[in-house]
Amino acid sequence: MTNLLLFPILIPILTASVLLFFPKRIAAQRAVTVVGLVASIIAALFLLRTVMTDGVQAVTLGSWPAPFGISMVSDPLSVSLVLTSLLITLGVVVYSFRSIGEGREKYFYYPAILFMLTGINGSFTTGDIFNLFVFFEVLLLASYLLIVLGGEKRQLRESIKYILVNVVSSAFFVTTVAMLYSVVGSLNMADIAEKVTEIGQSGILTVIAVMLILVFGLKGAIFPLYFWLPGSYAAPPVPVLALFGALLTKVGVYAIIRTVTLLFPHDPGFTHELLMILAILTVIAGCIGALAYYDLKQIVIYNIIIAVGVILFGVAQMNMAGLEGAVFYLIHDMLIKAGLFMLIGVIIAITGTSNLREMGGLMKTYPGLAWTWLVAAFGLAGIPPLSGFFGKLLIVQGAFEADNLWGGIIILASSLIVLLSVIRIFIHAFWGEPMPVKGTSAGIYRGLLIPAVLVTALTVFYGVGTEWLRPLMWDAAEILHQPSIYIDAVLKE
Amino acid sequence: MYAVFVIFLPFIMAALLPPVHRLIGDRLIGWYVMAVPLILFAALVRLIPRIADGEIVSASYAWIPDAGIDLAVRIDGLGMIFALLITGVGTLVALYSIYYLSPRESLGHFYVYLLLFMGAMLGVVFSDNLMLLYTFWELTSISSFLLIAFWYHRKGSRYGAQKAMLITVMGGVSMLAGFLMLYFMTGTFSISEIIGMRESLSGAPLLIPAMVLILLGAFTKSVQFPFHIWLPDAMEAPTPVSAYLHSATMVKAGIYLVALFTPLFGGLESWFWSLSIAGIVTLLWGAFNAMKQNDLKALLAYSTISQLGLIMSLLGFGSVALSESAAGDPTAYAAAGFAAFFYLLNHSTFKGLLFMVVGIVDHEIGTRDIRRLGGLMSFMPVTFTFAVIGSFSMAGLPPFNGFLSKEMFFGAAVDVASGQPFAGGAEVLFPVVGWLASVFTFVYCTIIVYRTFLGPSQPEKIDRVPHEAPKGMLVAPGILAALVIVIFFFPNVVGKYVIGPAMSVMFPELSRQADLVPKIEAWHGFNLPLLMTFGVIALGLLLFITFRHWKKVYRVAPFRWTMDSIYRSMLGAGEAGSTILTDLYMTGRSRDYFAFIYLFFLVTVGGMLFLTGAFDPDFTRGPVGIFEISFVIIMAFAAIAMLFVRSRITATLLNGVLGYSVAIFFVFFRAPDLALTQTVIETVTTVLFLLCFHFLPEWKPEDSPLRTKVVNGIIAVGAGTLVTAFGLTVQGYDVYESISGYFEDSYKLAGGSNIVNAILGDFRAFDTMLEVVVLFIAGIGVYTLIALKPKKGGDDVEGK
Repeated sequence: MTNLLLFPILIPILTASVLLFFPKRIAAQRAVTVVGLVASIIAALFLLRTVMTDGVQAVTLGSWPAPFGISMVSDPLSVSLVLTSLLITLGVVVYSFRSIGEGREKYFYYPAILFMLTGINGSFTTGDIFNLFVFFEVLLLASYLLIVLGGEKRQLRESIKYILVNVVSSAFFVTTVAMLYSVVGSLNMADIAEKVTEIGQSGILTVIAVMLILVFGLKGAIFPLYFWLPGSYAAPPVPVLALFGALLTKVGVYAIIRTVTLLFPHDPGFTHELLMILAILTVIAGCIGALAYYDLKQIVIYNIIIAVGVILFGVAQMNMAGLEGAVFYLIHDMLIKAGLFMLIGVIIAITGTSNLREMGGLMKTYPGLAWTWLVAAFGLAGIPPLSGFFGKLLIVQGAFEADNLWGGIIILASSLIVLLSVIRIFIHAFWGEPMPVKGTSAGIYRGLLIPAVLVTALTVFYGVGTEWLRPLMWDAAEILHQPSIYIDAVLKE
Repeated sequence: MYAVFVIFLPFIMAALLPPVHRLIGDRLIGWYVMAVPLILFAALVRLIPRIADGEIVSASYAWIPDAGIDLAVRIDGLGMIFALLITGVGTLVALYSIYYLSPRESLGHFYVYLLLFMGAMLGVVFSDNLMLLYTFWELTSISSFLLIAFWYHRKGSRYGAQKAMLITVMGGVSMLAGFLMLYFMTGTFSISEIIGMRESLSGAPLLIPAMVLILLGAFTKSVQFPFHIWLPDAMEAPTPVSAYLHSATMVKAGIYLVALFTPLFGGLESWFWSLSIAGIVTLLWGAFNAMKQNDLKALLAYSTISQLGLIMSLLGFGSVALSESAAGDPTAYAAAGFAAFFYLLNHSTFKGLLFMVVGIVDHEIGTRDIRRLGGLMSFMPVTFTFAVIGSFSMAGLPPFNGFLSKEMFFGAAVDVASGQPFAGGAEVLFPVVGWLASVFTFVYCTIIVYRTFLGPSQPEKIDRVPHEAPKGMLVAPGILAALVIVIFFFPNVVGKYVIGPAMSVMFPELSRQADLVPKIEAWHGFNLPLLMTFGVIALGLLLFITFRHWKKVYRVAPFRWTMDSIYRSMLGAGEAGSTILTDLYMTGRSRDYFAFIYLFFLVTVGGMLFLTGAFDPDFTRGPVGIFEISFVIIMAFAAIAMLFVRSRITATLLNGVLGYSVAIFFVFFRAPDLALTQTVIETVTTVLFLLCFHFLPEWKPEDSPLRTKVVNGIIAVGAGTLVTAFGLTVQGYDVYESISGYFEDSYKLAGGSNIVNAILGDFRAFDTMLEVVVLFIAGIGVYTLIALKPKKGGDDVEGK
């Protein structure tokens, strides 16, 4: 079925549309959302199998020939990201039942999530640069809605900054697409890649590539364009934060990956060198931020930035080890960030604060939470055999192969700061003298902890099961390394 | 299979522990745990004859085979020594813990951590794959972290745990970097294969960096100066843990690592100097600081630091045997390696014993502060005897095993000082410093015995009536005390069966040519080492007696310096500096954020435009007529004026001027659809703006400092110029064929003669549909903003 790759995009949008008809019936909202997500996951699993057995899937909408219509492409990288996003969203939705509150549930919380998911999955799947812009708008609008939903003062204040930054970034995006079209005369990414490969990547295209890095870097929060992120992500409630933290920046990262591997891989002296420097600076800036705060949300938020740097550093190596490591690390980071945010949500629900200095001694009363946190923390820091290890290992191998000795060492050293930042949470929140806490009912605790534990368990499997995932990751990296596979699949269908 | 079983038995038993604990209760759980090392010890002892014959027991299972990461384990002579310590001391520590820990403690946690540690440590010494070794290595750090903070309600415990973890994991990470360099050079993670490539690796550019990084791992774990600072704080752990992890086993993982890599790096000049100097400095600094401690455990911690330095320096001396330029008989140098292993074994016996003694004192008296202790000999005669045995052995006196190994250390130091092959000169200091450190060792050994058990009793300073420990608690130290003496009388059994096989792993080629196991004799005539021992005793006694008079030196720089304060200030400055730095640019003002974006745009995109030489404005396209120019002037005027107007309504109208002018440009460019759309949008926005006008807050002119305004102005003008330059450059390109020609057939293809309509409604209808969705979401957003508001005063939506 050639349209299979559209299902993980269309099912969420249809589900969201259905949900709009009965916003006040919470039980039905929840049930339909879960059904829609499960159906999407099943579709994504089928798609994954098809991609693994039959190779890259591509379809051009309206049956127009390839460079003229809008092509949607599903390769191992995009289908893995789609599946991961769906799984995380399901976890966050279940988590929301006990945390987001009736007010938001009655005001289009679930449709907003599904619309955002549409935008995310579409961005991962589209093979058309202008369509990518449109999907970005879908996910952005939905994210504006989610960030402001509830209308708290802090949300309003932060959402205006978030919107302003993104409007500027969208303007840059359109400008860049216009410039790109003016030079290459095409919007289809495979077509652009082919033309650039045939005729050569002239200087102006390299400049456009850098423009794209800027545009996507704003979304993906690279140095020095991440400044908007900590404030605006901390404003909405934890489930929304978990979704944003796990998924949104990764869309930007994904787009950068496509830019430098598929569209403009031919002038690495400029683009990849720049990307590598920015990636290292991102890691360093993230590390500094992660140490600067005693606020649970901020600590994990800055860890997002570190991870973005690590992934892009791997991409910038442009060898198999670096690329495969980047893909491994990308998906690891989506899962682990979702898990971490969900876990800090539980801590916040129990203690009533996100200030580390105001909590302590939770180990005695909430051992399950404590151990899950510790496992997630070690996973994040890349302690083997947990999920963060193998990706980082490959990235550093790639760096050594590409003769970037110091870069590799900085990436490894950042693990230490990451570990310090999250182990500090463990030491302060779970050990130490018990502090008076707001407390929460056993039902809510379980309702929050179970999805958080499940997502964390998923990361553990991801780490331990590295060997089973390798064929997928290898294929994903191979296409990044040899974009002709992707190009042929789109243009010769 | 055998080897895998040995590693995984502790993990399996740890996993089973919680249910078993529920079943058999607190009283028996310790025996369940003790069975694990006991079984393993027996299993390993059975292997000794085979290992001594040079056999290697190995097994390998695939884990991530393509990446070269396998569950490859091998039991050889080197791993065996350490494994015997892990399981042997492990059994005794488990036995000791049964009596030491009160059932009120969370025994379940304690024993799970202990078993995890045991498995991890066995994994470290039996791994034949670098990644497997690293995995277990980090696991030992983690289990040590959990054990140090066993009493996590204490501040000191948490501090010590975090510090130990940070420093050892830092070492671990650097070791990982070193391993990856080895992988890069050899293409394999298999340790035995890498060692086998020794020849081809010599002179590789990454060899020395890899060596340094791996040594960093070894030095942090084995508490070499200046990384030793975590060990005294780790003493917050329950004493059995200190005896086990922080003296007998985990801190020796670094020694293991160095021995493991000696065949690869041994013979390198930098290897020799790094090990010898780090070891000697650690030896002296540890011993010097041990004397001033009042807490017996802290004293033992510094003494452990000092003795690990001694072992490290011996490995350094021994590595000379692998140097091709070494003068004389290489086996003579290899004897230093033998001494290292011998000292390692002896250290585990006497130091384990002393920790247990201190534990007993702490347990029965309630303090381990020597200022409150004294005269306990008559109350605790057995413990006193143990203390004497342990201390004298540590001080290097006969008839205890420490005497033999200390003599060998003196001998090795003298040998290396007289004939090491590398340029230097520092080597002459080795025996001198080693001797001085031994004097200090003698002093603190005397302190342990004298200040605790002899001298005046101080009952008023302790809360309990002193009495001997329960019998069960004396069993484990008793066994160690017996070993201390037995090894003195039968050292060669140990030498042949335990150390010999390790020597052949560390010096593979050399051991084939010569027998590397010297005959150890307690009496070897009046030679230099023996005279040095006499000197130690004489000066040691003198220093001990006059301790009160010279301990002022600890208040004088550099003797009062502690590396600990550096660690604290680094961590503190790191956090404070991060906060300051982050607050500096995280202003929370959108204005600054835009400045960042545009500045970045200017620097990178502008920089690229010129670096790539792409800037090539094309002014040839189309005539620029008077209409265009006049509208450009109008727009520029409106835009600039907007910055200076004082009323919002004027600004809104000026904004409208910009929008409508754009529409007129579309007319010029013959794009009527776009012109219409633009006009509609512009009209609607202006109307909406005017509708909201009433509700908007008062218009306040910006009051930012002039400097900011100027800088932002420059950035703004720069960004505009750059976009223009970019645009002018872009329009000159037509090397690629555009897809737009295809759409000229739109009537035939899609049945619509208006190309724009056909594109929007057919060719790219998907975009259009999604844009409709976008509008739709925006509508919902506006609705919820109005309809859903948090209740006044409270936050009903989510707990904060």
